Amino acid sequence: MHGRKRNGAVAVALLAIASLVVAASAIARVDAPAATAAPSAGCDSPKIGFQGPITGDAAFIGKEQLGFAQYAIKKLGGGKIKLLQQDTQLDPAQATTTGTKLHADASVLAVVGPAGSQEVLAVAPIYKKGQRLPFISGSATRTSLTSGAIPNFFRVVPNDSVQAPTTAKYIRQILKAKEVFIVDDQTAYSRPLANGVQANLTAGGVKVTRNSVNQKVTDFSSLVSKIGDGVKVVYLPWQIAANGQIFGQQMKEQGKNAVIVGSDGMDSGDFKLPGSYVVAFAPDIRAIKGNEAFIKGYGKKFVSNFGPPTYVATQAAIAAIKKACADGNATRAEVQKQLHTTFIPKSILGGNFQFTAKGDVKGAKFYIFKLGSGGKKTLVG
Amino acid sequence: MDWDFFVQQLVNGLTLGSVYALIALGYTMIYGILKLLNFAHGEVYMMGAFAGFGVLSIFGGAVGLTINALALIVLMLATAMLGSGLLGVAIERFAYRPLRNAPRIAPLISALGVSFFLQSSALLLFGADFRSYETYEYIDLASGIHWGPLNISVVRITVILTAVALMLGLTLLVGRTRLGKAMRATAFDREAAAMQGIDVDRVIVSTFFIGSALAGAAGVMVGLVFYKVYHLMGFIAGLKGFTAAVVGGIGSIPGAMLGGILIGLAEAFITGYVSSTFQDVFVFSILIVLLLVRPSGLLGKADIQKV
Repeated sequence: MHGRKRNGAVAVALLAIASLVVAASAIARVDAPAATAAPSAGCDSPKIGFQGPITGDAAFIGKEQLGFAQYAIKKLGGGKIKLLQQDTQLDPAQATTTGTKLHADASVLAVVGPAGSQEVLAVAPIYKKGQRLPFISGSATRTSLTSGAIPNFFRVVPNDSVQAPTTAKYIRQILKAKEVFIVDDQTAYSRPLANGVQANLTAGGVKVTRNSVNQKVTDFSSLVSKIGDGVKVVYLPWQIAANGQIFGQQMKEQGKNAVIVGSDGMDSGDFKLPGSYVVAFAPDIRAIKGNEAFIKGYGKKFVSNFGPPTYVATQAAIAAIKKACADGNATRAEVQKQLHTTFIPKSILGGNFQFTAKGDVKGAKFYIFKLGSGGKKTLVG
Repeated sequence: MDWDFFVQQLVNGLTLGSVYALIALGYTMIYGILKLLNFAHGEVYMMGAFAGFGVLSIFGGAVGLTINALALIVLMLATAMLGSGLLGVAIERFAYRPLRNAPRIAPLISALGVSFFLQSSALLLFGADFRSYETYEYIDLASGIHWGPLNISVVRITVILTAVALMLGLTLLVGRTRLGKAMRATAFDREAAAMQGIDVDRVIVSTFFIGSALAGAAGVMVGLVFYKVYHLMGFIAGLKGFTAAVVGGIGSIPGAMLGGILIGLAEAFITGYVSSTFQDVFVFSILIVLLLVRPSGLLGKADIQKV
């Protein structure tokens, strides 16, 4: 009797679950937009989406990127193109949520951002489906992003296949380190970059100790204790510059004299340890002749090199939308096509700016800065 | 055996463990009295950290500090402890007391709700950007004990000593005062304690105040040693504090202290001797094995059900 009752209950439960699954898939089919021909957006009020870490651990970067994107819209948008900003907090889950919103808005013809490589990987499937939304990152450097798997992705900064050998060469030849301590932060950005630098250093005869730590950790003291006396350089390919600052201070507490070399993710006002180095994907535009009026027009103080590339990304998006809107209507596919023909003479980053067929920047390189006291940065490589 | 490295990791572990112990004490005290897992406890700790940061801002911030560093730390701790204590009392009054006679799941859900409420409140009040205590701007981190390769900064020494003092203070309070006696009686049998004339409501409020005050102190200590303060910092710390309380024996005050120190030491030694990559995996694996061997925790007592 009990057995029959139990079997009955199980059968009802299974039936209920099956019904829910059928209902859910039916709702999904109803909600899924039918594949249609790409609608044309009116060119009366086209929008450019912005995705960046406006708040959260990387807010320093996001705010500068947003500031420069807004400046580009104000200067070049002609009063018609609007910026639709979305906060991702450098979190792939947030990037996905905000990306879905931008993709669903037909007036959004291009997106500037997201900032992090892991976020790009998260939004790519969304931006690739239906009416493909072209997106241009001002800071995502993971090499594989422009392998061709995401044909609507562009970036205005060089990728890590350039950063890794540049960094390794500087550590080996200029800093003359024989022993290096590398710690990655377990992200899709950090791990490949750390692998690249490690491989380059090892090939050059440098002894490398490799460690890994979660981005959410704030106590690095146990890891710092592992830094041997022979280690001259600690390489941190981290996205959260503030964590790098904590690491450096804990090194100082324990009397470790090694010098920190941070990747481009550490190039922000949150990492300001004098004597350290940061690798940057853009030059300091204040040092480029001809940018004086631009900087004066911007009017705000900026510390990192994250902002100006986002200006160029927005500039490229604006130019592409204007060309696509020449006949009064524009589709996202047309905007993407125009992006491939982008040519910005004498860009604020120095020299002419063009994309390669795969969405990378032609001729881009990395720069190395040494940090002084009071946040001062000196170009050293 | 590299003894200097061992001792350095010991100090690292004790610093972290002291913070976990202070958080665990709040969990265990409240569970002991009310049999309630106060999941909002991590957020009380977070608010304490922000209170300390507020005091720092009032006195000119890290770079332009207008008072002596020691006076600042005392004020930070006092403000955080008072603020967190009062917050704990308010949480008890509005979120738990009305549900005291409800089924056990109800206050648990309420605790989760309070946790999210406090996180969102902190986000609204302070924003999502993290704040930094920037201790290195007003305390020379190179000062402290330096013995060969062994270095213990004055900040860590202060944190460890303060935590020990607070734990000793709590032990004396619980063991040697009338309030402590009342707390022990209430934890043993709430109804019997009430029948003996103990004001159980007052005891519960006092427990919440003391447990939350300790969490607030832990928040300030974390800010001083690790600098970063943000609205989500309570989640991981709360989880670790809860784990420490369970490992030590939920409901046992000495157990919470032991559990916290053990987890801090485990994290430090596993990072130092095994791997930083899978630190949490190894630590929690050890805890699982510990609990399999001793399910009531190291110093906990198995619940005996009378039939």
